[in-house]
Amino acid sequence: MTSILEARGIQKSYGAVRVLENVDFDLQDGEAHVVIGPNGAGKTTLFRCLSGETRVNGGQIKFAGQDVTALTGAQRVKLGIGRTFQVARIFPDMSAFENLIIAIETRERNDKGLRFTFGYIAPRQQVVDEAERLVVELGLEGAVDDVAGTLSHGDKKRLELAMSLALSPRLLMLDEPTAGMSPSDRAEAVRLIAQVRKGYGLSLLLTEHDMEVVFGLATRLTVLHHGEIIASGEPAEVRSDSRVREVYLGQH
Amino acid sequence: MIDYRARFRSNLLIASCGLAVFAVVPLVANSGLMFLAGLVAINVVFGLSWNLLFSGAGLLSFGHAMFFGGGAYAMAVVSLRLPELPFLVGLAVGAGCGALIALIFGFIALRRASGVYFAVLTLAFSELVHILITKTTFLGRNDGLVGVPRPEIDLGLFRLDLTSATAYYYFIIVAMAAAAFALWCFQNSPAGRLIQAIKQDSVRTAFLGTSVFAWQLTAFVLSGAIAAFCGAVMVPFTQIASPEIAYWTVSTQPILFTLLGGAGNFWGPAVGAILFGAIDYGTRAMHGLSEITVGTLLLVVVLVIPGGLLGFVRHRRKKTRGTAKASTAEDTGARP
Repeated sequence: MTSILEARGIQKSYGAVRVLENVDFDLQDGEAHVVIGPNGAGKTTLFRCLSGETRVNGGQIKFAGQDVTALTGAQRVKLGIGRTFQVARIFPDMSAFENLIIAIETRERNDKGLRFTFGYIAPRQQVVDEAERLVVELGLEGAVDDVAGTLSHGDKKRLELAMSLALSPRLLMLDEPTAGMSPSDRAEAVRLIAQVRKGYGLSLLLTEHDMEVVFGLATRLTVLHHGEIIASGEPAEVRSDSRVREVYLGQH
Repeated sequence: MIDYRARFRSNLLIASCGLAVFAVVPLVANSGLMFLAGLVAINVVFGLSWNLLFSGAGLLSFGHAMFFGGGAYAMAVVSLRLPELPFLVGLAVGAGCGALIALIFGFIALRRASGVYFAVLTLAFSELVHILITKTTFLGRNDGLVGVPRPEIDLGLFRLDLTSATAYYYFIIVAMAAAAFALWCFQNSPAGRLIQAIKQDSVRTAFLGTSVFAWQLTAFVLSGAIAAFCGAVMVPFTQIASPEIAYWTVSTQPILFTLLGGAGNFWGPAVGAILFGAIDYGTRAMHGLSEITVGTLLLVVVLVIPGGLLGFVRHRRKKTRGTAKASTAEDTGARP
């Protein structure tokens, strides 16, 4: 396997608070890599640095061999990094279907340039077909015509996942995909994520708190503590690491 | 699933009805009323251009007078100083002038500020343009440029004589219909949808791989170009370009139209502009009454029906149909 995402010596501070300290991070093509750690460990900050939501203070990030350290989040998306947020970010005043249409049209514009922007009003049939396929795939049939802001928490997360998939990413970053879900919704979410990972041949990077979700999805696990990586490896290996048990799993 | 064809047809029907009303004005009304109707038609599109930014892109511009005035002065300069240039070139220069002003100031303002600070910056830029006009001899300083002629357009096969006020009135109606159509198409195109999406969640649009700044600037430039086009079309009608049309009070007009008519509906500013014109006409004999009436009406609208007149109509229709859903994709922009 080759590395699709490589981070070397990542440093990030907010004012005097050093959140990430020389973090090295590798994500292999095709793996489902979960980053865990207690609250305040720096998971979300690492996530934000890797996705381009915030700039790093030091270090280098490469995606598919290309240096993306200076690129914005939008530019990284164009290269194939999709992401979702802890609190689902969707367009709340539009219907769920329109949300999907916008995501698909944006991908087409990114791929093919401005000629897909002007000159027609209704979405092209091809776009509508693709949106309908995503609706079925993610089980959003009951919600397509609803205003996205009124959807249930779980459906919002599904919609956001569908929008991210519409961008045809190579790497999908999911920030706490099951946060705030009931246990049954959580199991369903794990099933869905595993399904799309297989179906789309995606590499996944997740942060997660729930251990059932973590061990249900991870092919590789990295543990962050006080902004440093204390363990990284196969889930079983990390689980038995004494330091990890001490600082993290032992608390649960 | 949205029926885009039905949406297009119903909007075309609304626009056709409005167009028909404007078309019969010269046949049934005196020249004074026709003159006012011509200005109202221009104000309709001026309001729509402003609302493209406000409801479409979520940007509050308090400086639309700079585009309107810029377009008007560009047209006046072309007509008076370069009379050999065709009239339609003058219109294009007018719209282009607005686009250029929007590009320069938008580039600065959108990078530096958002929300109220953006509004204040646009106001400052607008005042800058106004002061430049009043201090420039070439532009007639405080007197403005007077005696702008109405054109004759040479279309190759035939000449279109627009020198009479009535002929030019019809030209205004056609030009404004075209501009409104262009605005509608833009707002309902993939680009318009994307700009609406940026308004609702700019972070999400960035993480769809979109440059938020570039698209907001596109909306700003288009809005500026259409507002300037309105100014350029108006000048041969009134035959004068005076500094007042670039004054900040002109910037408040499209805001007023939009709040009266309803920001959440594409035609809201049009309804507001027509209502404003009607109040102006009804109170023309009593100095100051127009301002008092408009002010009172605005207060009532903001306090009682914050969605504007069209928002109120939509709300009533929903109530009578018994649908409980409070918001739909189309009327949620109504947050003045």
